[in-house]
Amino acid sequence: MNFFERIQKLDRRWIYIVVALAIVIPLMIPYNSDNVTTPPTENLYQMIDSFSGREDRALLLSFAHDASTMPELFPMEVAILRHCFERNIKVFMLTWLPQGGPIIDYAINTVKEEYPDIKSGVDYCNFGYIPAALAMPTIIGMGDNISTTVKTDAEGRKVENLPIMKALNNYSELNLVVEFSGSVAGMSWLFYARPKFGLNVSVGVTAVMAADQYPYLQSGQFIGMLAGLKGAAEYEKLVDVFAAYREPGSPIRPTFDEEGVKIIPGRSFSSDILADDAAKKLINITTQSIAIFSPAEFQLFIDKYPDKTALFNQIKTEQDGKILIDVRTVTEQQKEELGYLAWGDLNRMTRNILYKFKVARIGMNAQSVAHIMIILFIILGNIGYFIQKARTAKK
Amino acid sequence: MKKTIPLMIVIIGGIFWFGWALSTHKFFQDDFYYSFYMPWARAMAPFAMLLGVVSLSMMHTNKIKRRAPKWQYSYFFFAGFVVTTLAGFIGGTQKGGVYMWMFENMQMPMSATMFALLAFYMASAAYKAFRARSPEATVLLLAAILVMLAQVPLGVQISKHLPTISQWILDVPNLASKRGIMLGVGLGSVATTLKIMLGIERSYLGGGD
Repeated sequence: MNFFERIQKLDRRWIYIVVALAIVIPLMIPYNSDNVTTPPTENLYQMIDSFSGREDRALLLSFAHDASTMPELFPMEVAILRHCFERNIKVFMLTWLPQGGPIIDYAINTVKEEYPDIKSGVDYCNFGYIPAALAMPTIIGMGDNISTTVKTDAEGRKVENLPIMKALNNYSELNLVVEFSGSVAGMSWLFYARPKFGLNVSVGVTAVMAADQYPYLQSGQFIGMLAGLKGAAEYEKLVDVFAAYREPGSPIRPTFDEEGVKIIPGRSFSSDILADDAAKKLINITTQSIAIFSPAEFQLFIDKYPDKTALFNQIKTEQDGKILIDVRTVTEQQKEELGYLAWGDLNRMTRNILYKFKVARIGMNAQSVAHIMIILFIILGNIGYFIQKARTAKK
Repeated sequence: MKKTIPLMIVIIGGIFWFGWALSTHKFFQDDFYYSFYMPWARAMAPFAMLLGVVSLSMMHTNKIKRRAPKWQYSYFFFAGFVVTTLAGFIGGTQKGGVYMWMFENMQMPMSATMFALLAFYMASAAYKAFRARSPEATVLLLAAILVMLAQVPLGVQISKHLPTISQWILDVPNLASKRGIMLGVGLGSVATTLKIMLGIERSYLGGGD
């Protein structure tokens, strides 16, 4: 049996081993890769971002999936919740499946750890599990009045008494729904809420289901879509580049201007920023430990902590006209002296993204290698097929 | 009578929903939908859940009684069902409780593993079956390779035009065929609905006359 006959009859276990290695090795050794953002993801990001800091706008996340599709859908949910908490956007959550309840809790807990000021009932509200049999009455009912349709939240509190409901009545304010699903996503919203109330609908779906949703996306019925792990990775990137962005020296928490208007941290979406090379340092997924400042930026940064100027000067180093602080060289005692806020602020300047906020991008590395491996297998199989066919014809 | 009453329910129900979907009249929108249907739907939902639990329990009980193939696994169903229910009712479903611990450490990894196995089957199936045996298969093969490459960062590094080409494949040929199928399914659904409402299609009654 020659080589090409052999590879034609390759045992499937060899393929499994190669695919396993192609997935496991990039997961264990992450490298920096850039996921080009696509219009469906950008449109959804911009729509959500337009609600920043507004009391009279909110979005609803519908968790219509169980644990099996979490590897693809959960990073999307985490990225969107992070976006909402960063940009002070009110968010509601519900699920039609009993298995979705713990997923909502898990998603909130995952993100909330980094946002101690975020409060349930004030910044977000979890409606919890609503049986799928009640999906239609709930979807249509919320178009007229949210608090009379969903009377209590997952914690059993009266929805109408929650502070988050102060400026929210129906779909005029709760103006966007994003449904996450591993099967047919967003259809109930599309059939019942969009035509009657004009609700904006968007979906997050597994990669294999994405092609099914394109007709609705192209017709404008869905205002955006996150497709599989790639969609999640794109959204993570957008959140890092825009929502979680901090100029050196800028405050971590929202501030108020002279007229009492809230200034939301982060910055607005811009294609120019996305195309700029400077954005690359914000999306590196490998561990970064050095905060880099220009002298002016450094001055701006330490001006926030005037009593700690000496300490900052002690831990800084200079290189090529830039001021560097490697957080690994900061001792425990120095950390204590810096205090929670200054240390947190400095750590943030390293652009070191927490693991839970870059899961999809690390996963995309593995997906990259797995895709290439599968393509190589297909090409190899076809070469073998044609050579064998030619030989048979010759005989 | 056994057939007539269900048929009447379906026909009358169908007419009401038809009216609700197409008419803005107060009778359909308020009296029928909000005053009649909504309270009934809320009352019925828990019974649907109960029906599911009873049906599943009966199926597994029968399996154990009859010593049907793999009947031992039915004990795992009852164990999982009882433990999960008790954990939820007694300790709550919030983080820190047994229910959430089971979800994070058992349900999530097991479900994710099952879903992840798909990747291995797909890779194996792609290798075994994806051959350029005809011009149509070759087009499909090329389109699949381009779309797969464009989805990942490595592919974009090969050529910056790949995402545009992939997007075109998804937006034009993919949607042309997709819309054709969807229109067919839609017309089929309308025809079947009309047949059910008019009593022509009766297979949902269990077949036969």
